[in-house]
Amino acid sequence: LEAIMTDEFERFLNESLAPAERLPDRRFVAAVQARIALDERLRAERRALAAGFGKQLIGLGAVAAAVWVLALAAPVASSISEYPAPSLAFSLTGFALLVALLVRAGGGAKIAPDF
Amino acid sequence: VTADNEEDLALSRRAARGDGAAFAMLVEKHERPLRSFLLRTVGPDLADDVAQDAFLNAWRGAGQYDGRARYSTWLTRIAWRCRLDRLRKERKPEAIEDAGYAPASLEIDDMLARLSESERAALVLCDGHGWTHPEAAELLGLPLGTLKSTVARAKAKCRAMWLGGDHD
Repeated sequence: LEAIMTDEFERFLNESLAPAERLPDRRFVAAVQARIALDERLRAERRALAAGFGKQLIGLGAVAAAVWVLALAAPVASSISEYPAPSLAFSLTGFALLVALLVRAGGGAKIAPDF
Repeated sequence: VTADNEEDLALSRRAARGDGAAFAMLVEKHERPLRSFLLRTVGPDLADDVAQDAFLNAWRGAGQYDGRARYSTWLTRIAWRCRLDRLRKERKPEAIEDAGYAPASLEIDDMLARLSESERAALVLCDGHGWTHPEAAELLGLPLGTLKSTVARAKAKCRAMWLGGDHD
């Protein structure tokens, strides 16, 4: 009797724990595809954002270096020392315009996987 | 690499190159056993979320599948890691112990609810999904002897419940 019960229990356990026979769940497959598409888009946006930020930093650095070199030139340096406030205002306005221009130019590319 | 693994390996390599259709075929083929395992192990509320996490990670790491193990084994390992990550984020211990309720009629889900999560996982893999003990031990990060005793303990608990005398 013990052996019969054991066999019966083993059969019950195996049948109960085995994956149920059914067709593939298309809705689940679609949900996974949608999640992957979203993940890919977000990753592409993050990459584009990082690349744009890098480019902007390089651009700003180049402009700052150019302005520095220009400010060292004798005629410009004398104007700055003669009129420091208007020179500073002019520089800050130019810098703000440059930043605004770079921010507008930096748009991220959007990539979607081929589902 | 067996013929079945070879087919999965080819699909996974295509997926690694960005072929979403190839990956969809892998999802269609493997979602049933994976979700069945998770349903039994982590419960209906979390099973599909963890399965989606696992497939997302399998897509990201498609190039890492080398065909030496079955794709389902590789995928289940990913799913188990996803499950452990979730538990860590929720700051819960890895082994969820006895759910602590007494159902009127004992079906398999009721029995499993009274086991710890590692007991459930070991029992479902070895007795329901045909995994070998070494495969299950590797997945669960247990020594082989511990895995065997975990399966035996889980089975003994279920048997006691099945016979009607629920004595842990």
